[in-house]
Amino acid sequence: MRFYSQSFLYDDPWAIVSYAFFMRYPNPLASHILSCDVISRTINPSGTLSTTRLILKSGALPRWAPKGIVSRAESWVIEESEVDPAGRVVRCTTRNLDHVKVLHVEERIVFQGTDDGKTAQTTEARFVSNFGWGLTKKIETHGLTKFKANIQRSRQGFSMILDLIRQSRMRPMAMGPSDSYTPSQYLPNSYDARPSVERAEERAQESKGGGSWLSLKTWRRSS
Amino acid sequence: MAHSLSEECTPLKREYDACFNAWFEGYLEPVVSASSRPEERQKFAQEKAAEYERSCGKIWVQYRECVQKAVKEKGLGSLLEQARTENPLNDAPPSSPESSS
Repeated sequence: MRFYSQSFLYDDPWAIVSYAFFMRYPNPLASHILSCDVISRTINPSGTLSTTRLILKSGALPRWAPKGIVSRAESWVIEESEVDPAGRVVRCTTRNLDHVKVLHVEERIVFQGTDDGKTAQTTEARFVSNFGWGLTKKIETHGLTKFKANIQRSRQGFSMILDLIRQSRMRPMAMGPSDSYTPSQYLPNSYDARPSVERAEERAQESKGGGSWLSLKTWRRSS
Repeated sequence: MAHSLSEECTPLKREYDACFNAWFEGYLEPVVSASSRPEERQKFAQEKAAEYERSCGKIWVQYRECVQKAVKEKGLGSLLEQARTENPLNDAPPSSPESSS
């Protein structure tokens, strides 16, 4: 078993970081995410929200991997999360569902709001292989190395989403007609049905401020 | 927004995600805190659940049906069921959204 842990402090309040976390796919730096679906969602009597998402990731095998070790280089991942807005905590666990004998990866992330209005993130990951053939350790180490290499990239992608949300919060009132797929008929009148990311996208378009907003906007629309 | 595991479900997923995100934004900024009385927190939970059901209930049912069908077709059913019983976050099985709202 190999173990990894890291902590990180965001200057943003918990509500914004948590909102961004659930919207982090897709982003241009997460092209390995092929699909993402909510398969169950429950508001518990205590007020917490439990969500299960099923995610399909693509991945490349290392060169030294034996042929036929897995049938395809894609992996189903399940993400279980619990949001407690009163306690300002998000707990989230992700693990792969297939190829578990080759390598089982379990990642636990916690976002906790701090008293001074920031957000502390802790990440823990475990890598367990039951493959044998003298490769167990090599596979586990490979998993850990890949994870460490990817964590920077995924944090960058997450930051892009976080930036979009920050921008949209600076201008809470949305303008213009709603988008084609907006389910306005399901929403009370007091809502702006569009997620705030889209409002931010609109803002970027209006200001012609371009840059990363515009490219991310275009990217998200086309994906 | 990301694709669904089945192209057929992607439009439903987009509509549902947009609805959920709008609701979620308000859910994350509650007027109650951990120090609030249990009755207040319960009231918050009930109100939020009702609001969610009102706003996103219909589209959720359509989207879920579509995904469940796709999961079966791809033969992922048993894989998922096994995973769900091993959910590390849940000690007790939660009630369904329908019954808690």
